[in-house]
Amino acid sequence: MKGWRGLAVGAAALAVAVSGCGTSTSGGGTETKEITVWLMDGSAAPTLTDALNKEFESANGIKVKYEVQKWTGIQEKLTTALASSTPPDVIELGNTQTASFADQGTLADLTADAGQFNSGEWLGGLKDSLTLNGKQYGVPFYAANRTVIYRTDLLQAAGVTTPPASRAEWIDAINKLKAANASNPDFQALYLPGQSWYFLLSLIWDEGGDIAKQDAGKWTGALDTPQAKAGFEAYKAIYEASATKKVPADIDEAKPQQMEVFGTGNVGMMVGLPWELGGAVKAKPDLADKTSAFPIPSKKAGSSAPVFLGGSNLAIPASSKNTDAAKKYLALLSSKKYQDMLAEGGAVPGTSKDTAKLATNAVGKALAASSPNGKVTPVTPKWAAVEAGQNPLKDALTAYLTGAKTLDQATKDASDAITKAMA
Amino acid sequence: MTAVKTTETAAPVGNIPPALPPAVTGGARKRRRRGGAFDRALPYLLLAPALIAILWLIGWPVVSVFVTSFQQLNLGELVRGEVVWTGFENYVTVLKDERFWEVSLRTVVFTVSVVVASVGMGLGIALLMRVLTPWVRIALQIAMLCAWAMPILASTTVYQWMFDQNYGILNKTLVQLGFDSFAGYSWFSSGTSTLSVVGLLIIWQAIPFLAFSLYAGLVGIPRDLYEAAGIDGATGWQTFRAVTWPEIRSLLMMVTFLSTLWDFKVFAQIWVFRGGGPNGESTTLPVLQYLEGIAKSHFGVAAAISVLMMVILGLITFQYLRKLLQTEEGKL
Repeated sequence: MKGWRGLAVGAAALAVAVSGCGTSTSGGGTETKEITVWLMDGSAAPTLTDALNKEFESANGIKVKYEVQKWTGIQEKLTTALASSTPPDVIELGNTQTASFADQGTLADLTADAGQFNSGEWLGGLKDSLTLNGKQYGVPFYAANRTVIYRTDLLQAAGVTTPPASRAEWIDAINKLKAANASNPDFQALYLPGQSWYFLLSLIWDEGGDIAKQDAGKWTGALDTPQAKAGFEAYKAIYEASATKKVPADIDEAKPQQMEVFGTGNVGMMVGLPWELGGAVKAKPDLADKTSAFPIPSKKAGSSAPVFLGGSNLAIPASSKNTDAAKKYLALLSSKKYQDMLAEGGAVPGTSKDTAKLATNAVGKALAASSPNGKVTPVTPKWAAVEAGQNPLKDALTAYLTGAKTLDQATKDASDAITKAMA
Repeated sequence: MTAVKTTETAAPVGNIPPALPPAVTGGARKRRRRGGAFDRALPYLLLAPALIAILWLIGWPVVSVFVTSFQQLNLGELVRGEVVWTGFENYVTVLKDERFWEVSLRTVVFTVSVVVASVGMGLGIALLMRVLTPWVRIALQIAMLCAWAMPILASTTVYQWMFDQNYGILNKTLVQLGFDSFAGYSWFSSGTSTLSVVGLLIIWQAIPFLAFSLYAGLVGIPRDLYEAAGIDGATGWQTFRAVTWPEIRSLLMMVTFLSTLWDFKVFAQIWVFRGGGPNGESTTLPVLQYLEGIAKSHFGVAAAISVLMMVILGLITFQYLRKLLQTEEGKL
């Protein structure tokens, strides 16, 4: 008797499982017991997410399975997750990745619901990055850009009392810092790996160049223009000055994490994001009152260089089975309370124009000063393929800095590779 | 890549069934006199679960890769579960790309060099082990076991530290020895040099298995053969040619064949070192497949590359396979 019942239950379970493969219930509604939320490493402080998840759980009776993902290899991880039968319900996407995921139809169309996500106050640069053919496939989360993070004590000791106002002054400050710490063989006045390509973008834009140009819907690489080449030359000049024992030319800022190196105390400055400073301070708390930041200086004295507007969007995978609950979660996150917390944490909030909370510390001030100058990589679904895998910009930097290729050759090769990838 | 891997890991399983039959067939023969159809089918029925499992594990991924290679399968199709047939388009894309040919040639050269070096050194160590005093031999074997037991990524990380431009022990030692030009020398400045370091790591990882296998073969050679050769006044080299070589030739061929399979599809070490860089110069076929499939989400193209990889691997190992089968037949 017992055995038969077990068999019946087993058969029923099997039938449910099999039929479950074919149907895709969009919006589980009342049945949803738990949603899975993937946010990225360093994007929202634990204080914010703890409060947010707690409020969401008690208001809706739905558990939040909150997971923090690393940026390294996220493209691959998302691809696998989105193709699985149980994808996460809320994901965070880099603004340069969003277009390609939306173009492939993997993200839910949120155009009709934009109102409940505070769409009137969305940050322009991020809004563009998640809009494809007039439809919105996400909600802006936050934006941040790189500033020069520096050790106030070391700069003061080297006789640099005011933050440099031009590129020449900056190199000057680097040299002074290097001279003042000549006794430490491992000292790096500026920690600059050879493949810090977001910083290269700043220099290229500052010289009036760009990565690629669009002509009649067709993108072609523009790294071989004289302006872009001037950007490469500026990078080399700063890289050469950065330290006696330079960072290798063939690594980027993520391997090893530059914040970890900054935390060792042998580094005077780094070009980094606010969360990277946060990471360094967490590892070495006494850095908190010894660090500050200034915008990346332009070659024109008194102004700051354009910066890559990095940032993230939040999206709901098209294959999510808990769309309604996920929308509620996004609505809560876009409310002013949590946007203010984001600003306090040192990021430009995505769904609130109020940045008063941002300018409360030095890094936030530098961020707010340079973010109006923010630019983005080409907004096209094809761009993600350039960044993932073997990035031609990184290859060009390494080849040029090590002397493996001439400037003309390196930039031409990178330009051709970009044209090919975006064709 | 999965297909190749499955084939190779499942191969030992495939060898087990032939070992079983004597008992089974023996039993069946007795019963055959009574002549039941069920009795005759019994051995096959007993084999069936294992056979189905093997076919499922090996056959399905291979078929799946083959089928995918004729489809347009990008992220969108994958998520929506669509099937878009494109015929030979993926193959045309891959074969028309001159990079594919460049990478294929590089992969073949890399595989051959690594296999020759690792099998050669493995054989050398195996021969050495036979003449060592027991204590030294045990020390050597323990050292090799430790090297063998080390996870791939851990040893890759250690190698990265060793070859680090600024802080690596290798550069520091070379400078201490008076080679000042190695201060801040980059071992990863060109594809050849990067692949040489990766090759060194792979050889280091492969030697324990090769040395142990070949040593086992050497131990099995009867001592009196060597005594006879000694009485005939043969030199060391002549003894090796006349006694050792014929005995271990088929084993050597077997491990060479296995090494070729393993080294051809090496991915983790190459990717972890420099992501196939600098400038794509250390990109091999498995890396190219990863770039197309995972980084660009063109799974159909990646599948076409893996089918072509299987073809290339078949071409490289064709001679080995044939010789291997011939020697076995000759013995039988």
